[in-house]
Amino acid sequence: MNPEEIQGIFFAECDESLQAAEAGLAACQAGTHDGETINAIFRAVHSIKGGAGAFGFEALQGYTHVFETLLSDVRDGTVTLTAPLVDLLLRALDTLSDHVAAARGEGDTPDDTRLLAELEAAQARNAGNPAPAAAAAPVPAPAPAPAASAPVTMGDDDNGVAVDLDSLLDSLSDDLAPAPAQATAPAPAETAPREWLVHVRPHAGAMTNGGEPVLLLRELARLGGRCVQVDCGEIPPLDLLDWRTGYLGWTFAMPGTVDEAEVRDVFDFVGDDCGVTIGQDQPMPRVQHPAPPAPAVPAATSTAAAIPAGPANDGPGQPAGEPAQAASNAPAPPAPPVAGQSIRIDLVKLDRLIDTVGELVIAQAMLAQRLSNENVTAIEELGMLETLTRDIQESAMAIRAQPIGSVFSRVPRILRELAATTGKHVRLEVSGESTELDKTVIEKLGEPLTHLIRNAVDHGIETAEERVAAGKPAEGTVSLSAEHRSGRIHIRIADDGKGIDQQRVLAKAIEKGIVAPDAQLSREEIDHLIFAPGFSTAQQVSNISGRGVGMDVVRQAVKDLGGRITIESEQGKGTAFILTLPLTLAISEGMIINVGDQSLVVPLANVVESLRPGAGEVKGLGVGRAMLNVRGKFLPILPLHHLVGASGEPASPENGVLIVVETEAAGQAALLVDGISDQRQFVIKSLETHYRSMEGVAGATILGDGCVALILDVDSLVANAATTLLRQTLRDAA
Amino acid sequence: MTKTTRVLTVDDSASMRALLNHALTTHGFDVAQADDGQSALEWLQLNEVDVVITDINMPRLDGFGLIEALRNGTRHRDRPILVLTTESSDEKKNRARQMGATGWIVKPFDASKLVAAVRRVSH
Repeated sequence: MNPEEIQGIFFAECDESLQAAEAGLAACQAGTHDGETINAIFRAVHSIKGGAGAFGFEALQGYTHVFETLLSDVRDGTVTLTAPLVDLLLRALDTLSDHVAAARGEGDTPDDTRLLAELEAAQARNAGNPAPAAAAAPVPAPAPAPAASAPVTMGDDDNGVAVDLDSLLDSLSDDLAPAPAQATAPAPAETAPREWLVHVRPHAGAMTNGGEPVLLLRELARLGGRCVQVDCGEIPPLDLLDWRTGYLGWTFAMPGTVDEAEVRDVFDFVGDDCGVTIGQDQPMPRVQHPAPPAPAVPAATSTAAAIPAGPANDGPGQPAGEPAQAASNAPAPPAPPVAGQSIRIDLVKLDRLIDTVGELVIAQAMLAQRLSNENVTAIEELGMLETLTRDIQESAMAIRAQPIGSVFSRVPRILRELAATTGKHVRLEVSGESTELDKTVIEKLGEPLTHLIRNAVDHGIETAEERVAAGKPAEGTVSLSAEHRSGRIHIRIADDGKGIDQQRVLAKAIEKGIVAPDAQLSREEIDHLIFAPGFSTAQQVSNISGRGVGMDVVRQAVKDLGGRITIESEQGKGTAFILTLPLTLAISEGMIINVGDQSLVVPLANVVESLRPGAGEVKGLGVGRAMLNVRGKFLPILPLHHLVGASGEPASPENGVLIVVETEAAGQAALLVDGISDQRQFVIKSLETHYRSMEGVAGATILGDGCVALILDVDSLVANAATTLLRQTLRDAA
Repeated sequence: MTKTTRVLTVDDSASMRALLNHALTTHGFDVAQADDGQSALEWLQLNEVDVVITDINMPRLDGFGLIEALRNGTRHRDRPILVLTTESSDEKKNRARQMGATGWIVKPFDASKLVAAVRRVSH
């Protein structure tokens, strides 16, 4: 795209903005004075101004600046929007239109002197300000252009600073000879421009908001600066080191061709978060100690006194013996931690431990299998080993475990923001926030949870008027709870809103082509339609919960965590989303089953029960199909034999074992297998990283006998089998 | 540069996006575009980026809302974010920093100023 084309886009946009401003002002004339209308007018003019500046239409930019300033005051409420003011704004808009036409080359630049004076007077009068002396638009003065001749000593490479630190060693001796004292910002001498010094000490804040002080040092180097000194004198002993504090300071010698403004420019973004002093006679900025966190340790013990106070202040460039320095050091170091309280561990090391423990679990199982094959059983030591292995595993997991409260604690803020945008005030009830689960799971839980909360407030909770009309308290309630249940964690996000409108959901799903118009769906199945990709029941696209991409993403996120999400909804009473998640992603509990010559793993999370059907509990249903009667409830029987393509004769329901599984999308089903051989923990190995992803397979594991067994993805297996069997039945019937 | 720096530009004005795109791509950056904060968030759910450049005043979700959402999330919490602003007063700059911006680009900008600002916050 060339600049002319971009300019073309700009003019097309100007037309849109002019129309939007026109429509907005027309609404104001008709009596609409709400914030959004005024903001839209402001945005329209603001957008023209931005483009005008970018494309160098100075007259247009100057004019829009004055226009925008007045609109900004109207928006902020410092100027009241009266009928005469609306008229003035409409006239200003006409002139703006002429300005745009002129910029486009379709006419002369309009004479806006009188109008500008009127706009400024309107702003000044209403705001109670004296009228500005000059009518000229205060366009920000451009920053001084960088000196074209600034010597570039380094390339773009990331190790630039390191290189410079090396050169420091070479040249240090030369530079230690102090240059004659010189005032700050040396005026560029007519003869030989002299080098001058910049002292830089990034404070804690320089690392926040995506900042990276190294990049600033790199920029100094790019301007031609040489790092002549690194102040390491402030680094305390390791046990007093606070990771947030910027202990290091750098001194750069800048060539005389670079002026102070250029260097100040480099530190423009960091403000006070980076101490900068300029000049030979200036000291390195002091270390800023961030406010110490709430002391976790009781009052300092006598050991604190034994630790020498801060390092000696004889670092070069540091005025020696400055009492304030010692004073500022003294309160900062937190009391020495009591042994055994907490240590920081590199996450990589921890993951390595978890991996190794996983291998240990496998090795222990293999040993047990081997001994059993050798007919060596009932060994006491083997039992001990098993117990110890399990203990080690649990301890390793506990290191990674964190309370879910860290995720829950974000919710009140979300609710406050939602209250501001939607006007719905919601009470929050939280329970089980101390429930612990794996760090990885916690980290990945934030986004889906946020989305569910937003969804609950936006779509679930009614407005205060609707609630009162329905006989409910005006204030809605969202409750969050977490609990451990049979080795999994259950998180429940419930609201007391209007519930899922099943008729609307179904109608929408049919309209979107997600289900066939004549589909017979259970209540549960209709509720789950909201997870279908591209589904949204909101009549209007809402800012809050997005455009219906969300629930699909939520389900995927939960599924990626090895979990399931289910809905309980009652119209008029509320909706609850229940997330069932594993405690960890690395190790899982499963049932090892045999089908033909294969051993497979069914995740225990899916298993409801396993049984050998009694007489009359299996009912035939056409050719090759059968249903299982479980206490009056009929479930389809899915012969796993066919589904996994095992060799040998398939078991019949009467002599095989049926495993009743629960799935997210397709309800319950009974898997027909030859037998169950074991139930134990297994380490999940991703099939994608070792082979490739396969439909119906969630991963693989190594069994005690060293064989690889596939872990079934019961959800997709059952969902697919249902359609396959249906097709097969239809074919058989034909 | 060992790898191309990827920049997401967020602005409701198509011409401003085109300008940014033109200036950045000619300097070797890889550029993606979003037309407001909301669509930027949606894009960022699925993509990685080195630097975000965002306008402030936008419909649906404005620039500060976008920054807040990113800083409060986990995945893009430490991403450098530059805001496009028409004013360079210290008050505006302080506000931008308080809101979590890494830096700013004052409009109107020329290509060299833009590129310098992006380089200042990216590797």
